[in-house]
Amino acid sequence: MDYKIVNKQIFADRFKRLDIHCPQVARKAKAGQFVKICPAEGEVSIPLTVFETDPQRGIISLIVHETDPAAQRLGLMPINEPVYSVLGPLGVPTPVERKGVVVCIATGVGIGRILPVARALKQLGNKVIGIIGARTKRELLLEAQMRIACHKIFAATDDGSHEHRGLATDVFRRLLGEQGQQGQPPLRGVYAAGSVEMMETVCELTRPLEIETYVVLDTAMVDCLGLCGACRVVVAGRTVQACVDGPTFDGHKVDFNDLKIRVNAFKEKDRWGNQQLASSPKGNESGILTKFLAGYPKS
Amino acid sequence: MDIPAFVRLLRDGNSAGALKKIQEQNYLPGICGRLCSAPCEVVSGISEEEPPAGIRALERFASDSGRPKFEWKRPAVRAGKKIAVVGSGPAGLTAAAGLAAKGYGVSVLEAFDQPGGVLRYGIPSFRLPAAVLQEEVGTVRSAGVEFRANCYVGKTVGLDELQREGFEAVLLATGAGVPRFQDLPGANLGGVYYAEEFLLRVNFAGRGHRLSLKTQDANFPLGFPLGNKVVVLGSEYMALDCARIAVRLGKHVSWVSPEAPEDKRVLREESGYAREEGVQIEALARPLEVQGNERQFVRAVRCLRLDYADTRATGQWELTPVPDSEFVLDADSVIIAMGHAPNSLVARGIEGLKVNDDGTIWIAPHNGMTSLKGVFACGDVVTKAGPVVEAMASGKKAAEHIDNYFKSKI
Repeated sequence: MDYKIVNKQIFADRFKRLDIHCPQVARKAKAGQFVKICPAEGEVSIPLTVFETDPQRGIISLIVHETDPAAQRLGLMPINEPVYSVLGPLGVPTPVERKGVVVCIATGVGIGRILPVARALKQLGNKVIGIIGARTKRELLLEAQMRIACHKIFAATDDGSHEHRGLATDVFRRLLGEQGQQGQPPLRGVYAAGSVEMMETVCELTRPLEIETYVVLDTAMVDCLGLCGACRVVVAGRTVQACVDGPTFDGHKVDFNDLKIRVNAFKEKDRWGNQQLASSPKGNESGILTKFLAGYPKS
Repeated sequence: MDIPAFVRLLRDGNSAGALKKIQEQNYLPGICGRLCSAPCEVVSGISEEEPPAGIRALERFASDSGRPKFEWKRPAVRAGKKIAVVGSGPAGLTAAAGLAAKGYGVSVLEAFDQPGGVLRYGIPSFRLPAAVLQEEVGTVRSAGVEFRANCYVGKTVGLDELQREGFEAVLLATGAGVPRFQDLPGANLGGVYYAEEFLLRVNFAGRGHRLSLKTQDANFPLGFPLGNKVVVLGSEYMALDCARIAVRLGKHVSWVSPEAPEDKRVLREESGYAREEGVQIEALARPLEVQGNERQFVRAVRCLRLDYADTRATGQWELTPVPDSEFVLDADSVIIAMGHAPNSLVARGIEGLKVNDDGTIWIAPHNGMTSLKGVFACGDVVTKAGPVVEAMASGKKAAEHIDNYFKSKI
């Protein structure tokens, strides 16, 4: 089986879109499912959400966020080069049904995870309100696609380079505040994907209003088949694995304190020198490309 | 197996003949010769004074030195039936080889990118070198078995699709690699790994790397945080493997085991190796709690000593906690190797498959079939976690069951 990269797009400094020919996954993948992908033999495999499929041509589209060596390697691969292995579709599809008005809120790479959910919700006849957030306008991925997938969309950027200046949760809070007013249809469901803090805030806001909330988690995974336990999370008091029981969970049942520990467990850089981690020499600041495209003055 | 015959052939210097003799009954002698828990050697000792014959070592020798330089590929004569084997661990490989020898067309479907299952991803390379596994897989392949990697049954292909493809029987041999989550306080802290994760990560990162005791590879491309003081919890082979790997990575390793070395489930010989290599063994102790620091990373493990005592005066000596015997071990990383559960996750993608309460797949005792017609199961997913040889035996038996199933249909 030849998993060839058929198209590639650079979104921002470390965000890339890859289209890969993989008919058996393209036929079956549903909203919320992901694939395990290994760029070359001997490399580590990483899980990536399938945000778009083309069953006729047998193509799946993924977003690569270059934070670890395997993702960096994948991001550097040119068009027409075959990827070593693609396994999927994995995970349980996000539960979608006809509810009425729903909100899809996502930040950063989470937008890639929420896009297929928004599409599926719209197709079922829901009124979908999208809220997307990122640090800069440039890192606001898939905005055009989200605009088509949602009936109404709000955008928030940390630096104010696009629409609202601030956090996506601020927009969501304002939206909830308008809930009680006359003529506003009630909110029936919320789907969130993004940073742990954002998802926690969203769940705290919806808990008193008893709005059904789903979160799409992004935990570290090793084999993605339920054999390792790296992606363990505590949901409703039980330890479950995000790769086989998720990655979508009922947000009100997820133990976010535990999730924070699990997510931070692999971000420790300074304590042990044995890992060659991630970051480019520049560290965490935006790269030249982002600065250039965002219209920053050249230094 | 005709042990006297193969030992006689070896004595005459005919290792190729000896290997042939073994292969009549055992399809994977190279793996068995290394990983077998050798129950036969306990029985075969004629008297107390005489040490048992090293059957395992002889088998290993025969498989290492008796292989022909060129394998003559036998022409495939097929019975016209196709069988899909799900999983390519010890049970799956044995069953596939057995079915191919009976003349069926066999396809092995593996979710990982390379066949081998636990043999490749769970067992460290110093116990089973990748080259030996490759050789054994090659032997199975040359017997006419087709391998399909990146194929997760229940997700990538469904059972109905397999049937449409022409597979008349499906054998589930998915093994028992699911970690059993512990209620140990602090088990979700940073730096705590389940043994399965640790082994997978090391085996993924270290492909092509030799874990050598001498070099204590500092350049090993470890892709995850592992501290200098590692505590391994558990009493089985898996715990031993993790401890020995960590020593090879140049770490200081303590092994907390609730059983004494004499009655440990691992071979005494193997735990002797661990001791020689510098694993500090804290036998007869039970972990109570994993303690973390302010950044939610592991700092220490609190343990309790156990000892044999006849507390109820029944004459049965049981392991009981020793009062006031708590002690604290400093740790930067903890590896939990306290047993694993059967991998019946495959049942989630297959409707109507009956799963027992303990997670094993139900099979009928007389014909080895699951609750679905034409679907069989074997290996650790049926028997729960056991030694590799038992999984192999189960695979062999399943091959016979499938053969009988087809014969009875005619």
